[in-house]
Amino acid sequence: MVPDDDPAARPMIARGVRGRLVATVIALVALTSLVLGLGSYAYVAASLRAQSLEAAREVTNFNVGVLAVERLPASASAADLRASRLLDAFALRGASGTVVDLAGERFASGFVAAGAFDQLAPELRAVVAGGRIGYQRLSLDGRPYLVTGARRPPDGPDFYFFFDESATETAIERLGQALAAGGLLLVGVAALAGRALARRLLRPVSDASAAAERIASGDLSARLAVDSADEFGLWADAFNRMAASLEEKVAQLQAAEARERRFVADVSHELRTPLTALVAEAGLLRDHLDRLPPDARRAGELLVGDVARLRTLVDDLMEISRFDAAAESVAETEVELEAFLRAVVAAHAPEARTSMAGGPVVVITDRRRLERILGNLLDNARLHGEGRDIGLEASVEPAFGAATGTALGGPPTAELRVVVSDAGPGVAPEELARLFDRFHKADPSRHRGGSGLGLAIAAEHARLLGGALTAGLREGGGLRFELRLPVTRPLPGGDEAVTVAVQPEGSSDTATEPMP
Amino acid sequence: MAARILLIEDDPSIREATALGLGAAGYEVEAVADGVAALDAFRARPPDLVVLDVMLPGLDGLTIARTIRAASAVPIVMLTARTDALDVVAGLEAGADDYVRKPFELTELLARLRAALRRAIPADPAAGSVRRLGPLEIDEAGLTVRRAGQEIALSSTEFRLLLELARRPGQVFTREVLLDRVWGYDYLGDSRLVDVAVQRLRAKVEADPATPRLVLTVRGAGYKAARDATPER
Repeated sequence: MVPDDDPAARPMIARGVRGRLVATVIALVALTSLVLGLGSYAYVAASLRAQSLEAAREVTNFNVGVLAVERLPASASAADLRASRLLDAFALRGASGTVVDLAGERFASGFVAAGAFDQLAPELRAVVAGGRIGYQRLSLDGRPYLVTGARRPPDGPDFYFFFDESATETAIERLGQALAAGGLLLVGVAALAGRALARRLLRPVSDASAAAERIASGDLSARLAVDSADEFGLWADAFNRMAASLEEKVAQLQAAEARERRFVADVSHELRTPLTALVAEAGLLRDHLDRLPPDARRAGELLVGDVARLRTLVDDLMEISRFDAAAESVAETEVELEAFLRAVVAAHAPEARTSMAGGPVVVITDRRRLERILGNLLDNARLHGEGRDIGLEASVEPAFGAATGTALGGPPTAELRVVVSDAGPGVAPEELARLFDRFHKADPSRHRGGSGLGLAIAAEHARLLGGALTAGLREGGGLRFELRLPVTRPLPGGDEAVTVAVQPEGSSDTATEPMP
Repeated sequence: MAARILLIEDDPSIREATALGLGAAGYEVEAVADGVAALDAFRARPPDLVVLDVMLPGLDGLTIARTIRAASAVPIVMLTARTDALDVVAGLEAGADDYVRKPFELTELLARLRAALRRAIPADPAAGSVRRLGPLEIDEAGLTVRRAGQEIALSSTEFRLLLELARRPGQVFTREVLLDRVWGYDYLGDSRLVDVAVQRLRAKVEADPATPRLVLTVRGAGYKAARDATPER
């Protein structure tokens, strides 16, 4: 499986590695082309200049050693020099200009002025005075010149030839520009090639990251494409085998769990029919207990009580197996809270002290589930709190950040908080968290009736409604359960009759009419 | 004269124990095991109330409920062993008026039956008044509803629900109040009973059940009858 190619979807790590890889390739190519470029530039420039010097030297040798010796007598005078027309001959032979130093008297030809002599380095003149050929490179009016000098043996005059080197220097300059441009081009190509290469090289890495990401988020079917036999290919193959084995294991576990849940649901369901008969029969028997002889009566009483317990257990098992099958849906309706709480308390623990902060309020929630949560908490308080001092306190507070009102089905705008407490023996603090475990018995030696599922069921209902049920210890002994539930309140100032349900019976302005 | 109850339940133990209990409570009981026998018995001697197990072999409970409801206004109380919430709604939509979950205590069942039977008895025979709701004429004594002289066949529950709302047009009734007044439940009744009954009632009395003009929903509160024949909001 190939994940989508959106680079933004790739993990950051792969991008970081890719960037470093590209930078490295660019740096290597840049360094290489710099070294090669500088090297070839220096070599070519040096040989061009050497060539130019060699040519100038040959001309100088011939001009002085042959022409000047032939046409000038030793210790020649200025007149001899003019008569020899040597300067014209030199100009024909390629020197751009010539300066002659005849015992301190200077003659110039070509473009050069006699003053150019002053720009010649004393070292050159010393070399020439020593009878050897010397040279110097200088620039006159911005043009590069190679100057060679030689003395007509044995004692003069000294000749200095100026060769224009601008062609050579231009060639060298062009070469430098070409090399620099080529180097830059090479770096650009290297950047592109490096990017493509890095993408290609790191593709398996980002693919693997994407696949691992999918597995982490629960999609166990994610696999990598094995399209090479290199290290990445081996890695992808190992990765796929790991994912396959994980997927298989998880599927096995899920199947086993589903079978188990199915079994619990089926068992509860199958128990229901005989249990219904039992409950009906126990009801009949209960009405006739006093007509039984005393010894049979006790057995009858026990039977009636145990059938009731069995019924509770099966009811609770069915309820909890529905949670496990995730077959639960929430049905929200408006609930007039105060009357609702009164009814729940009356049905489960009539002796409980009940308090409700604020006046009548209508909340929107799942009535049946709220009844199950509070009913189970009250039942628990009665069973385990020994029926003493059971309390139920309720309040509704605006939910944080929910300033705008909403109608039925809107987002929660309020939080319902209900605390159910008892004055029973309580439990050890470390036991609190386990109170919501299924079939948890705080004190296994004491039999108290109840299915052992009531609190687990209450917690499941609370969770399903997006709320939380927590257990704590009450000051002065006993347990304290707190339910926090997001609820929706209908718009205030709605219909005047919304609270009709809480108006006292027989009040003149209600719609009460006696049932026949 | 004791009310006659037709009990349709396939499990022999439940059938016998329930029949015994109902008999002990003073009802005349005819107990049958399957749908075909049930319809035969229903036609031979129409009962005052039907107790129906929705999970029956052969002809299923929903079909029986629909068949009986098509022919009669008799109250139907379902026995449901199913856990799926949808089955309750399906049963109510098929025409049942109320339901009791298995396993049930006899006292629970008897309370439901008494409430259902009460709905089938005229509220105030002496008054004999006829109320109007838009085009409807509601005859409290005769338990009948007419539109333009034409009688509309309502079940006793639907009639009682309509009457309850029509007695105070414009008054909003929460579902709890309706569960109390019509079904005889305290605050812990199933509000789906009300919703499905309103839906069934609308299908029969409204010109266009999709845009009701007589029985209106009040969002976040409950239901009400229109104060006059024209829609209020």
